[in-house]
Amino acid sequence: MTQTTLTVNGQTRTLEVEPRRLLADIIRTEFDVSGVHIGCAHGVCGCCTVHIDGIPRLSCLTFAVQCDGKEINTVESLGGFDATHVLQQAFKSEHGLQCGYCTPGFLMTLAPYVEKKVANGEMPSDEEIREAISGNICRCTGYHGIVAAVRKAISNQLEGQQA
Amino acid sequence: MRPAAFEYHRAASIEEALSLLAEFGEDGRPIAGGQSLVPMMNLRLARPEHLVDINSLELDKIERTGDTLSLGALVRHERYFNEPLIAEHFPAFLDAAHWIGHPTIRRHGSLGGSISHADPSAELPCVCVLHDATIVARSVNGERRIPASEFFISAYVTALEPGEMVVAVELPIPQRKQHGAFIEIAERMGDFAVIGIGAVLELDGDTVLDARIACAGAELTPVRAASAEQFLKGRQLTEEVAQEAGQLFAQSVDPVNDYRSSAEYRRHLIVQLTSRTLMRAMKSKA
Repeated sequence: MTQTTLTVNGQTRTLEVEPRRLLADIIRTEFDVSGVHIGCAHGVCGCCTVHIDGIPRLSCLTFAVQCDGKEINTVESLGGFDATHVLQQAFKSEHGLQCGYCTPGFLMTLAPYVEKKVANGEMPSDEEIREAISGNICRCTGYHGIVAAVRKAISNQLEGQQA
Repeated sequence: MRPAAFEYHRAASIEEALSLLAEFGEDGRPIAGGQSLVPMMNLRLARPEHLVDINSLELDKIERTGDTLSLGALVRHERYFNEPLIAEHFPAFLDAAHWIGHPTIRRHGSLGGSISHADPSAELPCVCVLHDATIVARSVNGERRIPASEFFISAYVTALEPGEMVVAVELPIPQRKQHGAFIEIAERMGDFAVIGIGAVLELDGDTVLDARIACAGAELTPVRAASAEQFLKGRQLTEEVAQEAGQLFAQSVDPVNDYRSSAEYRRHLIVQLTSRTLMRAMKSKA
């Protein structure tokens, strides 16, 4: 067992952790944060994407003991239970989700991407958006709605800046 | 699936990492980004008893010394895109970088990790063979410099000895301007390649002065196209000549037959991708 201090969505706890335990499992079982979804558990589907110190990372390819002292954020930290984040709103209006299992992973992969594009005043092409989500698998939507949601989230904010 | 139990050690210095790896031998593995090792552990294809975390070591430098570009083992893949020395001297490397995994994986995966993992379909081992790189490995017994052509022994098998770890990859900077490209076919963008082809050309107008071609995904290690490279020298590069070079390359390899693709389809891809990659390398000149 290894003593590990983690901060998940602002809640800091020090735990005795078995090294083999994945960050995704620790977040779900020890912090009771269920927005981290585990699809494939070997780095293929992107469902378990979280932010570690602000950077997207697959929590199924990360051991909790490696995150000692780090700040972890999950989808719950984006727009809360009302899903008020601009990207969440765009997913809702553009049909970017159906069953919703993959959605937290998409949102956590895309939130910093959208933020960066808006900061640079850039509207990416659909091809670029598809590359940005290439590490996330969605079995329902066929991705069109997700691409449209990204476009909308970026264009809404760019227009907001001009107004 | 979840990994088997192991002990976790965080190394504060290279010396500490090497002494831990020497102590554990076959039972120890260094871990950096974990983008290849952790999937193998989760699937129980790898069961190291000890993991030595090397993320805090200073092995992430990119530096030029004379005619050599040295890339530290902990350089993360996304950095290749912002490195002017790679863009200037190794365009095939830069082109290949776009095909490595997905953005999240490229942010954390490391050069040393990919090389040590030695997946037969991976881009970076192929790029190392293409550019005649030297792999620098270190252990408590000292440093070894291993040519890429001797480093990759089989699928997931390298020349690394127990207790040894990759610390850098050295690329010889070419004397003259080179043009390069890398193209691959995968089921989905960022998936494991069925076939990937890298090419480097030295040109005088449309005439090939020197050519190097390498393939990922065909055999258990990256392969070079000796006969096609020889054939191209002195020829004017046209679509027809590029196709012929592809045919020669395909004849010289013995592609694997697996769940991802038949050997026959792989051979077909080698012809077509070699041809396309050569033309892409030439067009990058403009």
